[in-house]
Amino acid sequence: MERGGVSIAGFIAIAFMLTMYVLLDGYDLGVAAVAPLIARSDRERAATMAGIGPFWNGNEVWLIAAAAALFALFPTAYASSFSGFYLPFMVVLWLLMFRGIALELRGHFPSEVWHQFWDAAFSGSSALLIFVFGVALGNLLRGVPLDAAGYFQGTFAFLLNPYALLVGLFALATLGVHGAAFAAMRIEGEIAARALRVVARGSWLVLILYLTVTALTLWMNAPLRASWLFAIPALSLIALAATWRSARVGRAREAFIMSSCFIATLLAASAGTIFPYLLPAFPARNRGISIFAAAPSETALACALSVTLIGIAGIAIYAPIVWRRMAGKVRVE
Amino acid sequence: MDPVLADRLQFAFTIMFHYLFPIGTMGLAPFVAAYTWKAARRRDEESARIAAFWTKIFAINFAAGVVSGIPMEFQFGTNWAAFSRSTGSVVGQPLAMEGLFAFFLESVFLGALLYRRRGLPSMFVAWAGVMVCVGAWLSGFFIVATNAWMQHPVGYRIAAGGTILLENIWLVLFSPFSYWQFAHALCGALLAGGFIVAGVGAYYLLSRRDETIGRRFVRAGTIVAFAFALIAIFPTGDRNGRIVTQYQPVKLAAEEGLFTTEREAPLAIIGMPDVARRRLIDPIFVPDILSFLSYGNYKANVNGLDAYARELWPPVELTYYAYHIMVGLGTIFAAAATIAVALLAFGRLWSARWMLWILMLLMPFPFIANEAGWVATEVGRQPWIVYGLMKTAAGGSPTVSSGETIFTLIGFAGMYFLLGVLFLYLVLREIGRGPSWSEAA
Ligand code: HDD
Ligand code: HEM
Ligand code: HEM
Repeated sequence: MERGGVSIAGFIAIAFMLTMYVLLDGYDLGVAAVAPLIARSDRERAATMAGIGPFWNGNEVWLIAAAAALFALFPTAYASSFSGFYLPFMVVLWLLMFRGIALELRGHFPSEVWHQFWDAAFSGSSALLIFVFGVALGNLLRGVPLDAAGYFQGTFAFLLNPYALLVGLFALATLGVHGAAFAAMRIEGEIAARALRVVARGSWLVLILYLTVTALTLWMNAPLRASWLFAIPALSLIALAATWRSARVGRAREAFIMSSCFIATLLAASAGTIFPYLLPAFPARNRGISIFAAAPSETALACALSVTLIGIAGIAIYAPIVWRRMAGKVRVE
Repeated sequence: MDPVLADRLQFAFTIMFHYLFPIGTMGLAPFVAAYTWKAARRRDEESARIAAFWTKIFAINFAAGVVSGIPMEFQFGTNWAAFSRSTGSVVGQPLAMEGLFAFFLESVFLGALLYRRRGLPSMFVAWAGVMVCVGAWLSGFFIVATNAWMQHPVGYRIAAGGTILLENIWLVLFSPFSYWQFAHALCGALLAGGFIVAGVGAYYLLSRRDETIGRRFVRAGTIVAFAFALIAIFPTGDRNGRIVTQYQPVKLAAEEGLFTTEREAPLAIIGMPDVARRRLIDPIFVPDILSFLSYGNYKANVNGLDAYARELWPPVELTYYAYHIMVGLGTIFAAAATIAVALLAFGRLWSARWMLWILMLLMPFPFIANEAGWVATEVGRQPWIVYGLMKTAAGGSPTVSSGETIFTLIGFAGMYFLLGVLFLYLVLREIGRGPSWSEAA
């Protein structure tokens, strides 16, 4: 493979892992964020957590694997972004940790007072995580100030710009809907009905934010590189409409699948927007870290791609077997 | 403060905290698998309770391991940017394998193991236990292989500009450092697992409750602890010593407190290194043994610290004490486990309450030995971050100041304090309730 092809394959592998992360961990983060809306009593909240209990850790592994793959394939980008965004990354870490503690330990405490504490911690840290991830994506789309050596030179104040904050809200709404669709599919009774209502109403909020964010993104990146990027928003809108429609007619499974499609198109569009940069610079994008500058060695790429493919093939064999055993709806007990 | 020093403190603190839990995960996983398996085969009440009991403790431990593991993966990028930039093409590979091959396996099957609702077939649960064990050991292997490469870099080439590029992944994964270090670390974990199971059983016997179950625990635990206490010394500990002698002789000299090069070098069992005067204070020596242990020959020449430039010495005191704590505790474990197994074989263990006390009180020490072993390994690697290739001082993140790192170190300390207290509270409560309570839940 020639050099450019190697880099592009690496870019696609990482984009794929991150998409898996957002689709999968996205639903359990989303369930947590909308839990206060769909689960009213202590038992209902316990059922909501039980709905994601066996899955969340495996979902989070996609983030870990994506970080490791970025490390292996584009060390320059990994090093610059992780050290450049030092404090934001630490905030993400602490939120991830806090959320894991809340989710895993809730069940071990018999008292309802403790449950309320852990529930609030769980929903709060999950919602904040989604928001922070959204802000990060916003900044990625906008570009960040980099110095000559490719290290980030900016401040918290820079990262918290209005555009990025808006993307943060958009992420919260989108994954909230996604999570609610999962909850509707996974949990029985009253909770499922409420969750479907959240999906249907939330879709409108998502639509408004989507249109605003897309308009701003196009305006910021005026000379858009590829016209195929316009095909994607059309697909996104169809998927969003289908999500809303499925929720209205009470088909939770389809709502979840459609919301997954919606998110996948969004991420494809984002990847298309920043390509070929892993970390576009602000204000001049082309000073950023591109996949060609940060190109991996062929051996490293071949190795990482084989690992990814073999790993995914293995997961595709055993995960469905296990998950099918645990399928079926969670009951409120 | 020097930013790299802050990074080192943070790394040491977070990894030492994280490692406490993998010891439990890797060491208890086979017990969980075996007990779950037995419960599936025998279908009696007692076996089911035992399986449920250890699964619950395992799950609490696993959660703490996962939570404390996530920061480790990110720290290479946040705190060691220069290191990551130049070695990512190698170091990233086993880390990616760990995620895709091991963590996923572990978490998917642990989900099944913990999913107690509405009768999953019991053989399926038993298999899930086995797979969790495989996943835990695999993740240990990949991470130790990562570390082994930093101890003894192989399978790479250096590109223009000094970047280290991957040449051969098999060399990286299966260097002698990698498999001997992994075998030894796994032994350390299994030894810890054995002593935990035995110690919990001893506690029940001493408090005269759950006695049949307590005996089962003591029996299984002491046998496992005995086997792995011996294997930790020979062959795995011995082989680790030899590869260190071969590839990192300065580290060996620091671990042994050998300041001057000697033929027929003695082994210092006790003594305090005085680095300024380059000697051991109040030492007790066994003549010739160090030469023998390092080279299999009583007359061999062993290089002391004086054979190397002062800048290439690791911090001698820390390396020396950590190493001696590990070896000292290892000897004590082997002795204690041998006596316990002998008592067991002659049917005297249940009446030997002093031995049960010892087994119970020994529980925390395998953790100390494991941590001490890593401190010797890692501190002894200094001043290199990648042995012979890259200095630790050159590995930090140019854009992260020591102020930021200290701030986050305090944050981690707070978080880990909370996690540690919750962990201890929950585990001790489960042990206090005991297996007879477990079915009820
Ligand atoms: C309960 C745990 C335990 C016990 C009883 C022992 N060890 Fe150990 N040792 C470890 C747990 C450990 C460890 C924490 O797992 C290390 C750190 C890195 C590694 O691979 O294993 C280690 C490292 C380690 C190293 C350093 C390897 C390096 O620098 O790369 C040596 C030379 C030994 N060990 C030798 C021994 C000997 C001679 C022992 C005889 C009593 C012994 N260990 C008992
Ligand atoms: C197996 C994977 C591991 C890797 C890749 C790794 C890597 C590193 C790195 C990058 C540093 C910082 C640079 C340095 O000071 O050398 C470090 C330091 C350190 N690590 Fe490890 N480590 C691993 C395992 C462990 C474990 C399991 C422990 C202990 C439980 C440990 C204990 C330490 C300590 C104490 C330091 C500080 C050394 C000093 O301050 O001089 N490491 N390690
Ligand atoms: C720098 C070194 C290390 C890194 C980057 C690291 C990373 C991680 C991560 C991200 C997790 C969570 C996985 C999940 O979400 O399921 C984890 C858990 C785990 N780690 Fe580490 N780790 C390190 C050191 C070690 C060492 C030295 C060992 C053992 C020899 C080890 C063994 C494990 C095991 C068995 C788990 C499973 C979960 C548990 O123990 O509770 N890790 N590690």
